[in-house]
Amino acid sequence: MVSLLHRAPDVDDPGGQGDEAWSGPGGAARKERFTWSGLVWALVYPQRGHRILPTVPGVVLIALSFGIGTAAYNSSSNILFITLSLLLACLILSGVLSWLNLRGVRWRLRLAPPLRVGHDAIVALELRSRNRFVPTYGLWFEFAARPADAEPGLRAESTLTAKGAEVRAALAQAEAAELRGRVPLAGRLDPGGETRVEWVLRPERRGNLRIELVSVGSLFPFGFLRKDIGTGLTANAVVWPAPVEYRRHGVAAVRRLAGGERVARAGHGGDLLALRRYISGDSHRLIHWKASARTRTLLVRQFAAESAEGYAIWLLTDAGLWPKPEQFELLISFVATLSEDLFRGGQLRDVAINAEPPMPVRRVHDLEWWLNKLATVRPAEHADRIPGELTVARQNVMTFVPDGVRGVVAYVDGQKAASV
Amino acid sequence: MTTPVARRPQLSPDELQQLKWLLGGLLTLLGVGTVLYMDIDAWVLTGLTVAATLATLLRPELPGRVPRWVHALAFPAIAAFFAGDLWLKMELLPAMVRLDILLLIYRNLSYRQRRDDLQIIVLGLFLVIVAGVLTVSLTFAGHLLVYTACSLAMLLVITLGDAAQVGKPEPAQPIRETPSWARHTDWRRLLRRLQEVTDWRVVGLGAALFAGVVGVSALLFLAIPRFQIENSMFLDRFITKKAKSGFTDVIRFGDVSEIQLDTSIALSVDVSDQSQIPVTPYWRMLVLDDYSNGTFRLSGGLRAQFGSERTNSFQTGQARPRLGEKAVWTFYLESGVSRYLPLLGHFDMLRFRESQNYRFAGALALVSLREEPVSMTAYRVEGFDLTTLLPDPVFAERWRRRHEPDQKPVGLQTRLILRDSDHGVLRRTVSEITGGESPGAAEFARRAGEWLRRQHSYSLTPAIPGGDGDPLIRWLVSREAGHCELHAGSFVLLARAAGFAARVVTGFRGGSWNGYSNNFTIRNSEAHAWAEIFDERAGGWLRVDPLAPVVATTGEEPRGEAAVAARLDRSWAARFDSLRVFWYRRIVNFDQRSQAETLKAVKEATQNTGRRLRVALEGAVDNLKVWLTSPWDEVRLVRVAAFVIGVGALGWFLKSVGPGWWRLRLRGFGHRRDDPVRREAGRWLSRLANGEAAEEEAGVIADLQRVRFGARPTWPEPARVFQRAHQALRSRRRRAVSRTGSGSG
Repeated sequence: MVSLLHRAPDVDDPGGQGDEAWSGPGGAARKERFTWSGLVWALVYPQRGHRILPTVPGVVLIALSFGIGTAAYNSSSNILFITLSLLLACLILSGVLSWLNLRGVRWRLRLAPPLRVGHDAIVALELRSRNRFVPTYGLWFEFAARPADAEPGLRAESTLTAKGAEVRAALAQAEAAELRGRVPLAGRLDPGGETRVEWVLRPERRGNLRIELVSVGSLFPFGFLRKDIGTGLTANAVVWPAPVEYRRHGVAAVRRLAGGERVARAGHGGDLLALRRYISGDSHRLIHWKASARTRTLLVRQFAAESAEGYAIWLLTDAGLWPKPEQFELLISFVATLSEDLFRGGQLRDVAINAEPPMPVRRVHDLEWWLNKLATVRPAEHADRIPGELTVARQNVMTFVPDGVRGVVAYVDGQKAASV
Repeated sequence: MTTPVARRPQLSPDELQQLKWLLGGLLTLLGVGTVLYMDIDAWVLTGLTVAATLATLLRPELPGRVPRWVHALAFPAIAAFFAGDLWLKMELLPAMVRLDILLLIYRNLSYRQRRDDLQIIVLGLFLVIVAGVLTVSLTFAGHLLVYTACSLAMLLVITLGDAAQVGKPEPAQPIRETPSWARHTDWRRLLRRLQEVTDWRVVGLGAALFAGVVGVSALLFLAIPRFQIENSMFLDRFITKKAKSGFTDVIRFGDVSEIQLDTSIALSVDVSDQSQIPVTPYWRMLVLDDYSNGTFRLSGGLRAQFGSERTNSFQTGQARPRLGEKAVWTFYLESGVSRYLPLLGHFDMLRFRESQNYRFAGALALVSLREEPVSMTAYRVEGFDLTTLLPDPVFAERWRRRHEPDQKPVGLQTRLILRDSDHGVLRRTVSEITGGESPGAAEFARRAGEWLRRQHSYSLTPAIPGGDGDPLIRWLVSREAGHCELHAGSFVLLARAAGFAARVVTGFRGGSWNGYSNNFTIRNSEAHAWAEIFDERAGGWLRVDPLAPVVATTGEEPRGEAAVAARLDRSWAARFDSLRVFWYRRIVNFDQRSQAETLKAVKEATQNTGRRLRVALEGAVDNLKVWLTSPWDEVRLVRVAAFVIGVGALGWFLKSVGPGWWRLRLRGFGHRRDDPVRREAGRWLSRLANGEAAEEEAGVIADLQRVRFGARPTWPEPARVFQRAHQALRSRRRRAVSRTGSGSG
């Protein structure tokens, strides 16, 4: 397995980077001016995701308050009235402490790519306290990860006319596709301090994944009320296909590429073959400055690698060819694994899907683009089987076909090269 | 998974568990502590609970050794105990209290889960509230505050400890298995750890917030709307009332003396008009007229005057309404004193805080509650008749017609059931007092009182001579000292022997005037017995206190400021007692009327403050106008300009330098000053600064200065530096000694 770099996924934060990437009560976002009407309105109509629910001790306290209040009015006993007042004051104190606890705390999401199906990935939440001397205790963080690929043709529908069972089934399906996790803040977040909370996630499907910090919850200080603050903080990530184990078959004659052709990783070993025009993505170290100056054209040096036999991968996603979803998923995983292995060996030249023009793979960035592409590819209804420029070469082209009802076979120029 | 970055250490989960266990034990002790003043028979259980709690606090591993069968049988046994208790004693509330204590014991003999900790809080709170409702004592206020603080601390610890377990079911603690936190508990170490992890600023904030809670609860208490649904539920109905001591309608010699030994407060009285306060108030509670074998009883005749039981919140008395505003006397009668209410005589109106079951004897000016109140009883009396004479027109009429054939002498309070020899003794004594004359009731009272005081001194430990006959007459003819009851009883016998109607009255005499809360405080030690003799001419009962000089017959007593000054008490005890009165006035006795008065007072205070502010502002504006319109010369202009520049400069300075300086002070200086290593370095530097420094000390001093003032990452090893400083100091002393030695040699 190669260690691949990946650009940081986009975090949905309008503020961009730096200090403004923080959100939460202590975030850099401009605070709204306090108004009493705003407070009352917030109590009547809380913000999306904000919830305050009584816990078991809270229900006991409320029941106790009701009981004592009833007894106080029934007996006109000031002892009971003062006890009732104290209980109500404790509830108020609980609210004030809860507010103090969350005040000044800010957070931001950080992902540690790459994400792969079946592999643990870490979703990190960085926390920082802006408080001067009040520490923060007892928070927990609700994370959710759900596929972000919009199914074509789907739109919002009213559930008023739907059957209950159908709605429940739809909800269950949505929940099944969703991964959820809760991570507590162990210990205390000191004033002015920072900490990091990590959620270990294991994606089950390839594709675009939307990771969300659903809410920040707390029972602090006395556990009477469970307070959840909806954050709406999201991060998008691409989940690459799972690597699979496959069997290689000896290919009788892999054609050596003709001289002058580009290799997967220019500049690695071998003799200088020729100069060629600079193509976007070439390493700047390979630029032949003298020749470029002479010809007034940017030219790069071209070498012959030791393993010069390169392959082009041509993936056909025709739904007619791949009618079974699980076999299609296996195909994608197989292609991704082969692509990585060939790249590691410097044997991957080009990649293409259906009739799209082939994409040369020279750098890690190109491979990542290809894996991203594989992560989101779906069976195409009427895929064009003409592989663009690949038809020109027609050498060392790796294609894939179903092997029985489950397997997949890779062919190179008509010879069986690998299977899974 | 989290990666905390903390500056101060944090308590580990085991330490949080230990703290929770400690607080649970403390709450248990506080809860069962209420039994001390609740007057419920649960002493054995309380003792067991305290012992079990202390044992498990000192040795938290003990619950792990409790046999399995104890846990299996605990709840069936507790339920059976409760059922048996209820069935045998038929008292719901005491049975519930004992059940509560049993549950508390069990909770301290087993390792608790979250719900068990919450159960301890609720069980303890139940005990505290019941104690408060039953006793209405000031102790309850303190108890409730301490209990609330501990409960909140416990809930906080539970929340912190369970933060990692949110949403997950708590794992059950296996029976007979000691959890890791209980195996090596060291409370001293825990306290040290608490000191380490505690930020005292946060503790200060917490204390301020708790004070805020008390303030907010006081405001809520004042603001909660009051209306009374008929009192159909009250805790004291579920408990049998027991008086701790005091007055009953049958008392024997010595009973009053027992009360006198008790210096606790029996009664507090607020008076709306201090000019009405008599010099020596006599708080009447009970009249005893039937005498036999040295015992005074309330006779059947007088008992009948109490009539049938009434249920009401007010009672009209027999005093004639007077012109002008009536003085209002508010009484706070402590629990366990008596079911007879102390009163100064006839009254116009008596009001209770809430509806009461009572009997009222109008002619006797006595009120008897149905049951002994176990909590403080508050009542308000308007329009007391404060003369020393208790008018009794019905008895006067019967007295006038006493010689008519159909009149029964029993109810006339003249009966003397004595042996002939005792009658003879009494007759001789009366002759000695009257000198053969037939004085009126007042004059007889004066002479008899003088005679008794001449014959007998006052003593709390009387001795009654032995012999045959009535014990009181034996004492009467002796020269033995006696207490008030003997004096009063003897007087009644003498008066009856002389042909007057007389009776013994018990209650309290005097009291002190609390200079802080401005109220009468009457203690149990001021319980007293005196007599009343019927004065035919005045048509009423004349108060006679044989232990005090006889007051004017029917005239009014001196009252007012002189009376207050004579009884003024400004001692520390009075200061404490004033708290109790505040509790009664502002908390226990707070009702709709008080609420309206408070709101009115707040409104008036706000209006007055606003008015004063407005006047002050208007005055300031006028002064400014005058100042502005007065002639401006150069000197004035320069002064004003200098002032404006000065204020501007100060403002600029504060704005630009102030925050930075303050931040520096908060972060830098404060931490440096508080750092124990820096402090230690400072100490060594000051020690080395005294005296002449040698060249080899320069390095040590430089290192010490670095530790004292330098950034922490640049420090050398502090312990090594201090060691070197110590050596340098020792060698310096050695040098000084050798120099002195060589000089003297």
